[in-house]
Amino acid sequence: MAKKVLVVDDDVNTVRFLSVALEEGGYEPLGAYDGKEGMEKIKSENPDLVILDVMMPKKSGFVLFKQLRKDENYKDLPVVMLTGVADSLDELDAQSDDTFERPYDALREKFRKIIKEMKEDALVKPDLFIDKPIDPEEVVEKIKQLIGT
Amino acid sequence: MIKRNQIFWKLSAAFICTILLVLAAEILLGKINSLSSGRYLQISLIITIAVLLGSASAWFFVKYFIQHPTSKLSNEMNKLADGMNKLADKEFDFRLDENEKDDFGMLASSFNDMAEMLSLSQSELEKTRDYLQGILESSGDIIITVFPSGKIRTFNKGAENALGYRRVDIIGEPIEILFADPHERDAAIEKLTQTDNVVNFETRFLTKSGEIRDVLLSISQIRNSTGAIIGTIGISKDITRVSRLQVQLVQSQRLAAIGEVFTGVQHSLKNMLNACKGGAYMVRIGLKKDDRSMFEEGWEIVSEGISSMTNMSTDMLKYVREWKPNFERVELDNTLAEIDRVIKQTAKDKGVNFQLNVPPELPSVICDARMIHTAVMDIVSNAMDACLWKEYTDGELPELILGAYPDDDGQNLVIEVKDNGCGMTEEVKKNIFAPFFSTKSKSGTGLGLAITSRMIGIHNGKFDVDSEPDKGTIFRIVLPIDGTDKH
Repeated sequence: MAKKVLVVDDDVNTVRFLSVALEEGGYEPLGAYDGKEGMEKIKSENPDLVILDVMMPKKSGFVLFKQLRKDENYKDLPVVMLTGVADSLDELDAQSDDTFERPYDALREKFRKIIKEMKEDALVKPDLFIDKPIDPEEVVEKIKQLIGT
Repeated sequence: MIKRNQIFWKLSAAFICTILLVLAAEILLGKINSLSSGRYLQISLIITIAVLLGSASAWFFVKYFIQHPTSKLSNEMNKLADGMNKLADKEFDFRLDENEKDDFGMLASSFNDMAEMLSLSQSELEKTRDYLQGILESSGDIIITVFPSGKIRTFNKGAENALGYRRVDIIGEPIEILFADPHERDAAIEKLTQTDNVVNFETRFLTKSGEIRDVLLSISQIRNSTGAIIGTIGISKDITRVSRLQVQLVQSQRLAAIGEVFTGVQHSLKNMLNACKGGAYMVRIGLKKDDRSMFEEGWEIVSEGISSMTNMSTDMLKYVREWKPNFERVELDNTLAEIDRVIKQTAKDKGVNFQLNVPPELPSVICDARMIHTAVMDIVSNAMDACLWKEYTDGELPELILGAYPDDDGQNLVIEVKDNGCGMTEEVKKNIFAPFFSTKSKSGTGLGLAITSRMIGIHNGKFDVDSEPDKGTIFRIVLPIDGTDKH
């Protein structure tokens, strides 16, 4: 039986082409379009891995991620996060609260705060961050390294 | 003075005695022939005694009634003159002896009173001088006074510190040497002759070591009690550090602005490229598998990405270009009804309860109707997104109300967009009008509200935003009813 991978992203296109790539890679793709729907699918479909977009309506990827890590049933569920700032995560991680952040970069600042919160909550970071624009085949390759086929 | 007086009195006494002796001799010579020798001796003795007594009386008279008072007067006058000389030599502690009960005592007392007053005035003057000097010296500003000839008269500590000259070296030198460009001094003086004082004249001083200091120079004429100009005083503030910081600030602001644009463009491009990259992948798989439907689907996604980039490019141009609004008196209820028609169906499809709440007689407004339409559409569409992003609980349903009303004083028309969506944090609220600020990951270029804000600015209108995370947002556009003319 093919392993199930759930893609949660409010961008229908991303869900669509990642699903195609996952299918090509031998996985059973599942799609959800916001955090709320994502949680429902996780509970009903019990996927082997979840690809989460960070910024989504209703429930952001990070809120959903935190919920999963705090839940006994899903605390070990592999999570891959899609972001626009994956390239600077280490830098963001190292920044302190009083680091001057340009006001325009709300996304980066949000990320920094979330990483800090995760540390405070003793939560393990997502298994992988993938930067946008996504190369679908590369994503599938990385998933293979995480959970096999 | 004393000796001369004594000689005078002695000569006078001798002169009187001689006159008396001559008179006595004449009397005696007249009587002598008719007298006996005994009688002659007797008369001679009497005359001699009389002459001696007369001389003694004359001497006594001269000594006690003429010589003594005159000598005392002279003495006291000398003391007074001496005192005056001492006061002139600034010996303000000198006092005359006031023990005498006569006129001289009174004179000494008056002298002493005068000396006391002079002493007090001098001490006040010294205090004032020290105080003023203290102010000049302790001031960090460059304070220089200049003679009408243009030569430096005083040079304070602040000037020494800022310009590197020691006052002993610079005093008496022409003031021009302190100016990096002597023409600037001429310009300041020219201004001074016209206005009597020059305030915050921006110029540059040259330090002893040849460094240039940017200063703000204020100059005033110094006049004496008769109003004649006796020089000028220049007070300068060294603003070199501030000027340099300003240059740095402008540079860093420029860099930050460029950074903002680049980062914003990059965020937006990443999402658009994501569609292109994903779509291209599907096109490739479609071709590989000879699956036309996948090929077309993939191509559609690529096209969407291209179209988003085109939109962003248009928005960027729209934001920076010069706008020429077409102002006319507009019945905005028509514009709002048009928006209602467009939004109603979209809202229904997305499960948002949309209402238009406009009173029947809305005042017409002088504005560019297209711009107001675009601005309101942008805010309504943001409100719609805010509803879609919220996870509604406890039976709450997404609601969006578009309303309009004149404000309390009837000067402005308020267009209000109210939603019960995800709301904004203070931080987000602060930045919503900044170009490329976006909280949405895919849709939008981050320019929507920046453009809307410019449009409302052109109308001299303003925004008023109330928002609370998870509660909702009220967005008000306040437009002057009579257009921009009255504002």
